Amino acid sequence: MQRRWHKLMILALALSVFGAARLGFEAELHQSLREANLLPTPLSTTTREKIGQTSSAVALGGLRTLVATFVNLRTVGQFETRRWADLAETLETVVALAPRTGFYWETGSWHLAYNAAAYYLHDSELPALRRKEAWRSFIQHGRTLLERGTQHNPDDWRLWSNLGFLLTDANKIAAFNDPNECFASAEVAYTRAVNTGRALPYLRRSRLYALARVQGREAEALAMARALYAEGSHNRTPTLLVLLMVLESHADPNFDLASRAIQECGSPSEALKLLGNHWRRTRDRYPVFGIPLAIRKLETQLNVPADQSILLQPAAAPPQVDDWFQSDR
Amino acid sequence: MPLAPPHAEATTRGSHLGRIRVIAAHTFTHLVRMKVFYFLAVFAAMIIASNAFELPHHATPETMGVNVLRAIKSWSLGAMTLFSVVMAVVATALLIPRDVEDRTLYTILAKPVPRVDYLAGKLCGVLLLLAVSLLAMDLLMVAVLHWRTAMVAADQIQMAKQLGWNAQAIDSLRSDVLAQGPTATLQTAVLAVFLRAAVMAALALFISTFSTSTLFTTVITFLIYFIGHFQADARDWYLHAGQLGQGWLARSAGLLLAMVLPDLQLFDVIDAAIEGVTIPLWINAKLCLVALYYAVFFTLASWWVFSDKEF
Repeated sequence: MQRRWHKLMILALALSVFGAARLGFEAELHQSLREANLLPTPLSTTTREKIGQTSSAVALGGLRTLVATFVNLRTVGQFETRRWADLAETLETVVALAPRTGFYWETGSWHLAYNAAAYYLHDSELPALRRKEAWRSFIQHGRTLLERGTQHNPDDWRLWSNLGFLLTDANKIAAFNDPNECFASAEVAYTRAVNTGRALPYLRRSRLYALARVQGREAEALAMARALYAEGSHNRTPTLLVLLMVLESHADPNFDLASRAIQECGSPSEALKLLGNHWRRTRDRYPVFGIPLAIRKLETQLNVPADQSILLQPAAAPPQVDDWFQSDR
Repeated sequence: MPLAPPHAEATTRGSHLGRIRVIAAHTFTHLVRMKVFYFLAVFAAMIIASNAFELPHHATPETMGVNVLRAIKSWSLGAMTLFSVVMAVVATALLIPRDVEDRTLYTILAKPVPRVDYLAGKLCGVLLLLAVSLLAMDLLMVAVLHWRTAMVAADQIQMAKQLGWNAQAIDSLRSDVLAQGPTATLQTAVLAVFLRAAVMAALALFISTFSTSTLFTTVITFLIYFIGHFQADARDWYLHAGQLGQGWLARSAGLLLAMVLPDLQLFDVIDAAIEGVTIPLWINAKLCLVALYYAVFFTLASWWVFSDKEF
C-alpha cells in the first residue's frame, strides 16, 4: 500500500514537472499562433448560448468552421422568408464562429445592405418613416459588418472592395450622414484592396473614382489620374478620361477642357457625347469643374441650338432619400 | 565471474524497436479485424453530401461555388477530427481490457517482453491505424475537392469571360478559386488532426493503465478532450492573474489545470487551414514537437503505472 502511494506521489511529481516544463513553450507557441491569426478568437458566452450546448461542445472541440457551416444554413431560410432581424442575428453568430472566412462577412453584408434594405424600400408594409429608418439601419449594419470583416481579414481584397463599392453606391450613400466621409473611406478601402496585390485591376480605377469625389483632395486625385492615364489605353475609360480633364480644370482654370476632349475622342461630337454623359451623371456626385464651359464651346462649334443644350436638359437629381419614402404603401 | 541468470539473457534478446514493431503490427491487424474501416463509407457519403451545399441564392456571382469548396473542406476535416479522436480514444481504451479478456496479455507478458515495449507497441498500432484511416480520408477529400474545384474554376472563368474581363483579372480569379481547393496547407491541417488524435491516444493509454473499465477510460478521456481546449485559458489565468488582482488560490488553481491538462487548442490551426490561411512550416514542426512530448510522457507514465501491475 505504501509502495503504491509512493508510486502515485512520483507520478504526480512527474506530471507537475512535465507540465511546468512545457508551460512556457506552449504559452509562447499559443501567442505566436494568435499573432499569426492561426487560432480563432475565444467564443463569447452569447455566441455559445445562441448555437446551443451541443454545437458549443462541437465548436469548443475544435470544429468551429464546421458549426459555422451549419449555422450559416439557417440564414438561407431566413433570407427566403425575409426575416431580416433573425438573419442579422444569425450572421453575428456565424462570423463569431468563423471570423477568418471572408465569405460570411461578404454575404452577410450583401444580405443586410442590399437585400434587407431593398425589402424595406419596396416591399415592406410598414409606415414610410419606419421603412426609411429600417432601410438606413440595414445599410449601416451592412457597412459595419464589412468594416469588422476587414479588421479580421486585412488581406482579403474582396472585403475591402465590397466596402468601397457600398460606400460609393449612389443608391446607398443617402443612408450615411456625410458623403465626403464615405468617399474618403471608400478610397481607403480600395487602396487596401489594391495593396493586397491580388485585387482585380479595375479596383485601381475605382480608387481614383472615389478619391475624385472627396472635396479638398483634388490635387491628390489629379496625380493619381495622370499616373493611371500614363499607364496605357487599358485605363482610359470614359469616366477616367473625364475625371482627368475635370481635375486638370480644377488645378488650372485656364485649362482648355473642350480641346483636350476633342483630342481624346477624335471629334467634337464624340467629345460632346462624353462630356454630356458625365454632366448627366449627377447621381454619382462626380466633380464637374470646367464641364459646363466645355459643353458650351463644343455645342457652339457643332451649331447646337441654345435651347437644345445638354446643360438645359433635366438630369436626375442626386438621390434624395425622402423622395423614396414619401407615402405609406 | 558470476553468470547472468537465464531470464536476464532472455529479456535483452532482440531490440526494443523490433518488439514494438511486432506488437504494433499485431495491434493494427487486430483493430482492422474489428471492421473499423467501415466508417470510410460514412465519410464518403458525408463528402458527397457536402457537395450539395451550394447555396445559389446565398452568394454573389463572384463567390458562386466557392462556398461549396469551403463546405467540403470543413465537413471533411470536421469528420476527420471526430473519427480520428473517437477511434484514438475508443481503440486505445479497448486495448488492455481486450488483451486481458482474451488472455493475450498473459501470453505476451510471460515472454521476455518489457512492459514499456508492450505499451509502446500498442500505442504505435493505434497510431498506425489512425495514420492509415486519415490517409484514406485525405485521399477521398483531395479527390472530391480537386474535381469540384475544377468545376467551380471553369464556371467562374466562363462568367469572367462573358463579362469581358482581361487575362490579368481572370488569372486573379482563378488563383482565388484554386486557393480554396486542395492545397499543401490543407495537408498540414490533416497533420494537425493526426497529432491531436495521437495525443488523445497516448492519454487514453495512460488512463487505461489505472482505469477499472473501458467505459471509464473513454468517458474520462473525452472529458479531458473538451477541457483540454480550455487549458490555454487556465494558463493565461495563472500567468495574468496577478495583474488582475487575483489571489494565490486562483493562481494555483490555474497553474494546476495548466500543468495537468494538455493544451489541445494549439491544434485548432485546422480552422485557419480550412479558411485558406497558410500555416508556416516552423509551426508544424513545433506542433509535432508538442505532440511527441505528450506521447512520450504519457507512454512513460503508463509504463510507470503498468510496470508492477498484477493480473
